[in-house]
Amino acid sequence: MIRLEGVNKFFGHHHVLKNINLNVKSGEKLVIIGPSGSGKSTLIRSANLLEKPTSGKVIVNGVDITAPKAPVAKVRQSVAMVFQQFNLYPHKTVLENLTLAPVLIKGVPKAEAEESAKAFLERVGLTAKANAYPSQLSGGQQQRVAIARALNMKPQIMLFDEPTSALDPEMIQEVLDVMVDLAHGGITMVVVTHEMGFARQVADRVIFMDEGEIIEQGPPEHFFVNPTHERTKLFLSRILR
Amino acid sequence: MVSPFAWFKWQALIRDWSVFGQGFANTLLAAALALALALGLGIVFGVFGAAPVKLTRVLNRIYVEFIQNTPLVIQVFFLYNGLPHLGVMLPVLVVGVLGVGVYHGAYIAEVVRAGIQSIHRGQLEAGLSQGFSYVGAMRHIILPQAARVVLPPLTNQAVSLVKNTSVLALIAGGDLMYHADSWSSDTLYYGPAYVLVGVLYLIICYPLATLARNLERRAGVSG
Amino acid sequence: MKKKLVAALSLLLVIGLLSGCGAAQTKSGDTGSKDAPDIKAIKDRGVLKVGVKVDVPNFGYKDPKTNKIDGFEVDLAKAIAKKILGNAEKVDLQAVTAKTRGPLLDSGEVDIVAATFTINEERKKSYNFSDPYYTDSVGLLVKKAAGYTGLKDLNGKTIGVAQSSTSKKAIKEAADKLGIKVSFLEFNTYPEIKAALDSGRVDAFSVDKSILSGYLDASTVILPDSFSPQEYGIASKKGNDALAKLVNDTVNEMKKSGEIDNLIKKWSLK
Ligand SMILES: Nc1ncnc2c1ncn2[C@@H]1O[C@H](COP(=O)(O)OP(=O)(O)OP(=O)(O)O)[C@@H](O)[C@H]1O
Ligand SMILES: [Mg+2]
Repeated sequence: MIRLEGVNKFFGHHHVLKNINLNVKSGEKLVIIGPSGSGKSTLIRSANLLEKPTSGKVIVNGVDITAPKAPVAKVRQSVAMVFQQFNLYPHKTVLENLTLAPVLIKGVPKAEAEESAKAFLERVGLTAKANAYPSQLSGGQQQRVAIARALNMKPQIMLFDEPTSALDPEMIQEVLDVMVDLAHGGITMVVVTHEMGFARQVADRVIFMDEGEIIEQGPPEHFFVNPTHERTKLFLSRILR
Repeated sequence: MVSPFAWFKWQALIRDWSVFGQGFANTLLAAALALALALGLGIVFGVFGAAPVKLTRVLNRIYVEFIQNTPLVIQVFFLYNGLPHLGVMLPVLVVGVLGVGVYHGAYIAEVVRAGIQSIHRGQLEAGLSQGFSYVGAMRHIILPQAARVVLPPLTNQAVSLVKNTSVLALIAGGDLMYHADSWSSDTLYYGPAYVLVGVLYLIICYPLATLARNLERRAGVSG
Repeated sequence: MKKKLVAALSLLLVIGLLSGCGAAQTKSGDTGSKDAPDIKAIKDRGVLKVGVKVDVPNFGYKDPKTNKIDGFEVDLAKAIAKKILGNAEKVDLQAVTAKTRGPLLDSGEVDIVAATFTINEERKKSYNFSDPYYTDSVGLLVKKAAGYTGLKDLNGKTIGVAQSSTSKKAIKEAADKLGIKVSFLEFNTYPEIKAALDSGRVDAFSVDKSILSGYLDASTVILPDSFSPQEYGIASKKGNDALAKLVNDTVNEMKKSGEIDNLIKKWSLK
């Protein structure tokens, strides 16, 4: 579904991603963890080319989007992203946030887009907020709207970059609940998070990154119980304490 | 002395009102066309200036720096008296619209660029991640938000654009100022003439300022 | 904004009222004493403020190299200063244009204006004029290459004139007589008209001949036609009647003594 082949990323002289090879299968739930600055965001943002790799290939559904003149915008329609800072459109209502791209980009008829938007709003428990503006919502509500917005593109893949890190603790669970619910559906998910409970619960595979490299990966039962690498152990001991 | 505002001078003004009417109409026309041009140029070059493409940013700088650092009067004189030497004789109204439009376009470009850059980067990324092109994201996501930031300085630009159409008077452009100059220098009744001209410019600029303020308020409520 | 509008309008009103009052007060000026108040004001100040042209060679022209203004009209101004203050150097020369000379007189920024100011009935309503010190006529400057020989060749053409100049009227009357039609474009300054002639925006540059001669160059020619002889006078503010009389007397004395003729020769006019 998504394949990174020998991806390197430099910011100036700073080598942020070091020869990353990664294959995410259809329907897989992949969780990426690692210390701050290890390159997790850069990695996940490479998957939809918000960061352009300095070298290497990113192949989504068989299309090499790092090739010159690749149909990047087209591919992005099927790869939705949820951001740490929500990034809802503040000048649009909740409903409009959900329908803007489907109508303008995919050419979905407005009525149809609104109908499905309402269904997704119901799924994230925010039917009542359809006509509110983002600034009138709490952080947790905004992030749930952002997830509904992503879903209304009917994507095949969902990317989450620390979706709960900007939230007050009491709001984290409502967002995680929605994500767990999503994971039970068949969609492919790549999630950068520090929420180990979530990782244990839904991940098919956990990846540990440090200093731009994938240090260790495996299914959560093995990964959390029996990490092989010193750096992984150290990180887990800190975060699980 | 005879007051510059003596009654018989006002009577002469009323007798010759059509001179001012014609000037007013020309000024309105020139201002409307120049504003449309300035907005078009301002938005395009403002987007150029904020784009992640070196070439467009360089184009933006050349345009803005060149226009902002030469006087409007010189630009208009060049269009009026310089171009004919190169074989291009533009009608005087076109000279005015082009001169004033291009001049204020540069200032509006700066306003628009600053407006775009004041919008959080995450907005562009959200748009791009949904499959918008850069231009599409600008049009539907960034510019509508920037518009709110940009409206007050834009109003100032529009108002000073209207006033600056009076450079047409320097090139016999038939605008309000030209006719006022011409009439008052023929009769020497400059008192009433320039009062009337002041009021007429106010009549154009005041609704403009009001309109922009209302837009601003409406935009403010919706966000 | 509504407040601003009101403020702007009332400001205009106040300006109007003030100048109206000014007019009423000066009428009661006392002429019985030794010096009339208008003359006295100049004497108290110790300098005569004169509006002159700075762009008309031989009349009033500021040499960009020396930054000095001189010419026929500057010499006239000095003669009047000598008359009032006893010293020809006590003049404060201020650059005026056709557009600014009226307002500057009204506001008192200048006492008198000697700036190729043509005397006519309309203008006499607004200002006091001295008897003429020079008679000029309107002429036409055209490009040699155009091959015009007179106004008759200018049917359908555009003529550049200065704002506030009487040449527009003079040419129009002459054109009507010839049964031809010409249109006019008005400019602020003479160099702008010359630029418009050079660029082809206008087909002829029309102004008083004395002024035209300053713009003659290798590519242009002054047509032999002369229109509407016109007389230049020294203008002063209505109400400053003692000043007007003194100026007029001075001009007439200079004419009688031959001084004016000498100045005309000195500045090679005619
Ligand atoms: N646009 C950029 N320009 C320069 N350096 C950058 C840029 N984006 C990221 N970096 C640097 O690249 C490195 C990796 O950043 P990245 O955001 O991918 O880390 P992360 O693992 O997501 O960290 P965090 O957990 O803090 O979000 C960091 O050192 C960061 O400072
Ligand atoms: Mg990050």
